[in-house]
Amino acid sequence: MPDLGLEVLFKGKNMVRLLGGIGVALKISLIAVVISIPLGILLGALMTWKNRGVRAILRIYLEFVRIMPQMVLLFLCYFGTTRAFGWNLSGETSAVIVFTLWGTAEMSDLVRGALISIPIHQYESSEALGFNRAQTYLYIVIPQAIRRLIPLSINLITRMIKTTSLILMIGVVEVIKVAQQIIEANRMASPNAAFGVYLTVLLLYFLACWPISLLAKYLERKWR
Amino acid sequence: MGEILLSVENVTKSYGKNVVLDDMSFQVRQGEVIVVVGPSGCGKSTLLRCINALEPIQSGKIKLNGEIVNPDGKNLTQLRQKIGMVFQSYDLFPHLSVLNNIMIAPCKVQKRKKDEVQKEAYALLERVNLKEKADSYPRELSGGQKQRVAIVRALCMHPEILLFDEVTAALDPEMVREVLDVILGLADSGKTMIIVTHEMQFARAIADRILFLDGGKIVENGSPEDFFEHPKTERARKFLHTFEFNRIKQVHHSECEEQNA
Amino acid sequence: MKNRKKIVALSLSLTFALSMTAQAKDSDDVYRTLDEIQDSGSINIGVFSDKNPFGYVDENGEYQGYDIYFANRIGEDLGVEVNFISTEAANRIEYLQTGKVDIILANFTVTEERAEEVDFALPYMNVALGVVSPDSNVITSLDDWNEEDAMIVISGTTAEMYLIENYPDIKLQKYDTYANAKNALENGNGVAWANDNTEVIAFALQNEGYTVGIPSLGSQDTIAPAVSKGNDTLLDWLNEEIKVLGEENFFHADYEATLVDTYGLDYEDSLVVEGGVIE
Repeated sequence: MPDLGLEVLFKGKNMVRLLGGIGVALKISLIAVVISIPLGILLGALMTWKNRGVRAILRIYLEFVRIMPQMVLLFLCYFGTTRAFGWNLSGETSAVIVFTLWGTAEMSDLVRGALISIPIHQYESSEALGFNRAQTYLYIVIPQAIRRLIPLSINLITRMIKTTSLILMIGVVEVIKVAQQIIEANRMASPNAAFGVYLTVLLLYFLACWPISLLAKYLERKWR
Repeated sequence: MGEILLSVENVTKSYGKNVVLDDMSFQVRQGEVIVVVGPSGCGKSTLLRCINALEPIQSGKIKLNGEIVNPDGKNLTQLRQKIGMVFQSYDLFPHLSVLNNIMIAPCKVQKRKKDEVQKEAYALLERVNLKEKADSYPRELSGGQKQRVAIVRALCMHPEILLFDEVTAALDPEMVREVLDVILGLADSGKTMIIVTHEMQFARAIADRILFLDGGKIVENGSPEDFFEHPKTERARKFLHTFEFNRIKQVHHSECEEQNA
Repeated sequence: MKNRKKIVALSLSLTFALSMTAQAKDSDDVYRTLDEIQDSGSINIGVFSDKNPFGYVDENGEYQGYDIYFANRIGEDLGVEVNFISTEAANRIEYLQTGKVDIILANFTVTEERAEEVDFALPYMNVALGVVSPDSNVITSLDDWNEEDAMIVISGTTAEMYLIENYPDIKLQKYDTYANAKNALENGNGVAWANDNTEVIAFALQNEGYTVGIPSLGSQDTIAPAVSKGNDTLLDWLNEEIKVLGEENFFHADYEATLVDTYGLDYEDSLVVEGGVIE
């Protein structure tokens, strides 16, 4: 068996620190996901409106957030707001804000795509039954759109969890940073630790994302 | 004949320069079954969509019980509940079971009690021989079954008038009958209906009155006997002839000439 | 990795642009003065959390290393708690310019460009380039270089730049990673390896049969604490602190507590700067 330097994981609190690191990553991404999903649905619905002004504004927002690398957004939110407005947001708050803005933008585009894929006669037969516009969305269109959205949004959520590795750039110590700290602290004693530690990180990410895809599979089967 | 339920007054509908309904007027009385026929593109489907305010009209008025039906009107959802519509395309909600397809509008729009609506839904499903499909999903039904559910869904709202827009046009031939039988049953029970169809036999059997549309205008408006036996206009004769021709061609060529002579 | 550097550069220039366009903020300075820090009861010090042995986190989650040892003493002498903030090489200046830390103590090499953006206090360590070679043929000078021989370097390092500029005749063998350069030296692909002297010293100590023949090459750079531009009260206090600490040979004690395992006692005097005085 090759030396993976796994012994460093059992030194002191290292394993607990790694778990704490994935905890930070999950906390930030899941808070952002919980806020992004309803906001994304709302904006996605607005994007299908006929009002050109609303659509243009949302389009600009979407494209801006999407074109900007997440790291730029993190820097803008963490350092930029201090420079420009004197706000002193913490690293974690900045991370939640950026991931929410990003998640909402991506989600709204997924929602828009799902909504326009609902055939027009679904809207018409709903309206013919006397549903008003809001009820049509609430009872007929959104439930169908959500079913189409499940696989896409699971993909987005796992992408958000993995992208939290960038937040170490604004001083938030999450699992990747803890991994780097452990590897570097042991570079003399266990020069091979990188492999074992990153393998563990991989496993932690997997354990975090796996239940989410299981849930998605379950819902897809239930709603087929 | 009963009171006037629906009146279409000088309605004009156009898409840009293309006039689809041209200054059209007619009335439907309580309990009357109107069948609208005509060549494709004559405006039959558009007429139904305008009555249900799915399309805005450029001029004229559509009144239900004297109330104006208007896409921008405040009482639109109220009026639409009184107008049941069944479309050509299978328009059931795919994410809801048959029962919920039927119950959702009475429960959510009319805020009726769930128990009562469910009871009625089962009774209506039984009438169209689909009681055992109550918990199925639309994807598990045949086209004919879907259309029967769509009819039940419209009925459960207790509409004052039912609009059928070529409901059998997308069905396989062997399923047409089961749907038409349901509609015939509704006619017998005295429902007011406007039916757009290409099934001439059916039209003749069910209609109290036939509206023949061509070029956005009502060309003939009369009893089915008059329309099918003694069409007054050349255009109606031509239209009917396309159906006749097909039927006779199958028998004998000579017979066809005899009749013409 | 290169891509990431570009993105960081873009991020920095964008935050800068944002600050230029939005002048909403009044003339309040970004930094906290000495009094404000003492009144608040804690100081924010930006350090590396993954640069053993300068700034790292041990298995119990405690910050350790040469920079941390100094940082803790600063806290003690100011009478405040030290709040460590994990920084990266690329964002150290940004942290000071936004006042999100009071001091950077993150192996921060003093350069002219950086001195325009932040204020450096007196130095507390030397860095230079070094050359390591096998015991069988120890290279002690780069003059009289044998044309046939090659020098191993890692691409993009200061060592590569320095050699190209000052010793254009020396043939270079460039490698992308530390591990590849190490293999090349062990396989004899080059006669010596030039890198930061801290790196080559650590290498020679860990690997039997190699000697650092040239421990200090080219210009001596220094490592110093940095504060936000214009934070004179804190800067003056730090300079005074470094001078006073020199009287008790504090940085030698720091070296012996944190660096001796990596670099050995032989390099103590060449690496440590005591009392801010460069010899």
